[in-house]
Amino acid sequence: MSTVMKTTRDVKGVGLSIPRPDGPEKVTGKVQYVADIQPKGLLHAQLLRSPHAHARIKRIDTSRAKELAGVRAVLTAADMPYLKKKAPTRAHAVLAIDRVVFAGQPVAAVAADELAIAEEALDLIDVEYEVLAAAVDPLESMKPGAPPVAEAGTEADTSEAQAHGSVSGVAAVAKPAKAVNISQQTTLARGDVAKGLAESDVVIEKTYRVPMVHQGYLEPHAVLAQWDTTGQLTLWASTQGSFNTRSEVADVLEIAENRIKVIPVECGGGFGGKIRALCEPVTAELARVTGRPVRYVMTRREELVAGMPAPQVIIKLKTGVQRDGTLMALDGEIIIESGAFSGAVLAVGAVFLASLYKWPAFEVRGFEVLTHKPSIAAYRAPVAPHTIYAIDSHMDQIADAIGQDPVAFRLRHVEREGEPMANNQPWASNAAYEVLERLAQHPSWKKRDEWKKSAPAGRLRGTGLSLGGWLGGLQPTSATVRLNPDGSLSVLTGQVDIAGTNIALAQIAATAYGVDIDRVKITTGDTDVAPMTGLSAGSKTVYTVGTAVLQAAQDARRQTLEIAAKELEAAVQDLEIEDGKVVVRGVPDKGVTIASIGKKGNLYMSKVPPVLGVANPAFTQQAPAFAGQLARIELDPDTGEVTLHEFVVAQDVGKAINPLACEGQMQGGAVQSLGIALTEGLMYDDKGRLMNPSLLDYRKLTAADLPNIECIIVEKPSPAGPFGARGVGEPPIVPAPAAIANAIEDAAGVRLTELPMTPERIALAIAAR
Amino acid sequence: MRRFELVTPGSVDDCLSALKGRGVEVKVLAGGTDLIAQLKVGMLKVAAVVDLSGVAELRVLEGDARRGFRIGAAVTARTLERDAKLRAALPSLSESGALVGSIQIRNLATLGGNICNAAPSADMAPPLLALDAEAVIAGAGGRRRVPMASFFKGVRQTVLGPDELLVEFAVPATGPKSGGAYLRHTPRRELDIAVVGVASQVSLADGVCTKVRIALAAVAPVPVRATAAEQALEGQPLTSQAIARAADLAVEAARPISDQRGSAEFRRHLVRILTRRTLTIALERATA
Repeated sequence: MSTVMKTTRDVKGVGLSIPRPDGPEKVTGKVQYVADIQPKGLLHAQLLRSPHAHARIKRIDTSRAKELAGVRAVLTAADMPYLKKKAPTRAHAVLAIDRVVFAGQPVAAVAADELAIAEEALDLIDVEYEVLAAAVDPLESMKPGAPPVAEAGTEADTSEAQAHGSVSGVAAVAKPAKAVNISQQTTLARGDVAKGLAESDVVIEKTYRVPMVHQGYLEPHAVLAQWDTTGQLTLWASTQGSFNTRSEVADVLEIAENRIKVIPVECGGGFGGKIRALCEPVTAELARVTGRPVRYVMTRREELVAGMPAPQVIIKLKTGVQRDGTLMALDGEIIIESGAFSGAVLAVGAVFLASLYKWPAFEVRGFEVLTHKPSIAAYRAPVAPHTIYAIDSHMDQIADAIGQDPVAFRLRHVEREGEPMANNQPWASNAAYEVLERLAQHPSWKKRDEWKKSAPAGRLRGTGLSLGGWLGGLQPTSATVRLNPDGSLSVLTGQVDIAGTNIALAQIAATAYGVDIDRVKITTGDTDVAPMTGLSAGSKTVYTVGTAVLQAAQDARRQTLEIAAKELEAAVQDLEIEDGKVVVRGVPDKGVTIASIGKKGNLYMSKVPPVLGVANPAFTQQAPAFAGQLARIELDPDTGEVTLHEFVVAQDVGKAINPLACEGQMQGGAVQSLGIALTEGLMYDDKGRLMNPSLLDYRKLTAADLPNIECIIVEKPSPAGPFGARGVGEPPIVPAPAAIANAIEDAAGVRLTELPMTPERIALAIAAR
Repeated sequence: MRRFELVTPGSVDDCLSALKGRGVEVKVLAGGTDLIAQLKVGMLKVAAVVDLSGVAELRVLEGDARRGFRIGAAVTARTLERDAKLRAALPSLSESGALVGSIQIRNLATLGGNICNAAPSADMAPPLLALDAEAVIAGAGGRRRVPMASFFKGVRQTVLGPDELLVEFAVPATGPKSGGAYLRHTPRRELDIAVVGVASQVSLADGVCTKVRIALAAVAPVPVRATAAEQALEGQPLTSQAIARAADLAVEAARPISDQRGSAEFRRHLVRILTRRTLTIALERATA
């Protein structure tokens, strides 16, 4: 905007803690999700999934299933000739063509009058498999001679990394011959690592391992598809980005994007798992061949068996320091198991591993490895919890080895604004240092010795902390702000609200325009009506869409003031919006209501144009955001059970647009982080079959496992975000694994290098001590 | 979930008629917290389900420490948890009810359902074994009683014939100086399944242990008694050394497997820890 006009009056907007208006509806089950939509003539879809991780499909016979009363369609890959054998993504691998590459991959699809009939039909589909050797362990899979996962010549998929807009300037490295399952490879290096290690007094080398984990959104993947008589497809989708879903479905089905309307239905959580298309294309195809609306809702078991989890990550880390604490060199290897399709964000790990702290010499080799398991997707700060688990476990061990305070050691070495990240980009403004400092001032950190000594008989107590964050995603986006004839504002974006962001957008619009928040309505439009809007991902909704709404509201304000200036015969610079009126500053009785301006924009024969603020910004400046977490634990050394007594999150949010919503994100992220630390992990047998496909054995933490989570909001304004805001969603999922590992070592003197840190692992480590 | 016929009898006799001659194609719904989950994932496929929720006599709960208890098969976990008389007289059984699932699940799950599902990890089985309880089973030829120690035949297998219905449990009197406890290990506090569960029941006279029962869950295909450990304690004062030795002996009764819930090594470790702890609590309660 050429003229930035700030309101001088306090409006009920930015900075207020406002509860989510949709909260009561959600907790009382009144919100309509995809699974609740019941159009006339609805058919129900089911997918037949491969029981084998790797097999050749020799024959599929669907004739018996087709004969079952109530079955309307049975599809196999043969019915979809446009499917690509070298499927570049999971969305393209709609149905297995002649080879299945993970247990749970769909091989046939059924649409029937009732869900129970569709299920019965699955039993009547005869598939003859030739079971092939499967690559299950990523370390084995990356060796030459491992069973190949992708068809030869399939391109690596780096679109996820681009979507997150996280790290640039990383060169790909040619992969070694015959290691067919290494799909991406990069090296980041600076300085002489061998020399640095040779000159170190203390060298610590450990391998850290984090299993695949599932995002655990409450609502499973779901979609409803319907074609109209003119060949237009409508998808009611549970998605983190309706425009992205539209692009992917259009690409797979080979139809024009403007023939698809994606209606983003209330999304019951995504956390990165609902960015990429999954079941939308096959459901659309079932709807096309039956001419009926078709709904597909994944079961929880299907989510766990064949969703798109976060990758398994193995980090080999070797560091050298001098006895006085001088950092010398870091040598790391990050192996990211991507499952059956490429798509990992490879470079983020290297940046956090080598440049959260100032290593003068480092080399980090990154590998994406394919295995015969479900392919991965993003999960809230992809690969950051894994990397921070390694580096911040390591930092504690180094501090301990040289007898230094773990916080002072980190504060001395944490990289600051302007210093180069591992990819040689300078660190943007951030508050990593300040967040760590705030945590170090917390009474529970200062009194950690007292806590340790206070353990009752037969129990151990400890305290640990860790620092982690996210670089912040970017994506172009747009928004409109319309003035209505009654003076209220309507804001339109395509933004899917998965985190309470619509309130923050309303707060931004209210403050920027100069009205109270109750005069602002935010609408999430479908892909036919909404302006192009980016994903709800990468901690960038408020940062980018908030900027678009801010600019559109400023544009609407400028238009409003220009109309008022003519009526009042005053200069725009002398005008102010107060209590629903445009007034001349210093002449309070001279004014015109914004309602009258809005009304004239929709009056027959009026010469006043309707006020329509529009903004469509693109972005270049990331805003990294950091969270520090502190855990106070008690441990039963016999059973290995950990009791969380206190958990503290200190996080830089730049500017808390809605402090209550920020705290919600900080607590929610902390809970997921603690789950990764303590209980979660997809477990596969040696044939690549999931051993824990239910929420009984795939353990998310429950309220009974958790203490109150204390939130400390730190505000170091970002240079470019709306009102200085930074992304809030991702940082709090990052630090807990290292914080808990550090607390366990403080309590029991054992170092756990594999997640989850289950009672079994803890008790057996203590017993072996 | 596949389609099935739902039968809702009002009496035990109606249940028996509904079951008669249908073999494995019919299943009994006694709460459904296991059955429905198994039907949903296709682990079980049935033609009919007989819902016991309308059979009042299956919810009988009467007795006291002196006479022993009759506990109907359809008594819920939540009732075991909250019934004051039962909690005072049979704390181990009450604790096993209180540990199951969540409150919502405990409101549905039943004692008979937990036992007839015959999972090796069934929480309510070790207390019943340790209390020398008997299962009362109705069939075409009348009723028979089977000691809990011989009720289980294997993983998800019991002595129940296809035409029979588990009606109630008879728990004998525990005596004046008796105490019991049940503990289990789970990685999560709630909504979890025992990695190992141990129930101990101790009776004392003149400072020595006159009778002791130790029963283990999730360490063998069926819930088992640790008889060598029991024998080592009977007739002895329950010193901490004696308890520690019994805990070591209990490990030998365990034949655990390694699975997604825990390794055999960890399960043996837990048997030792939980036997020691339950014996100590049972002793405290017997002396109180």
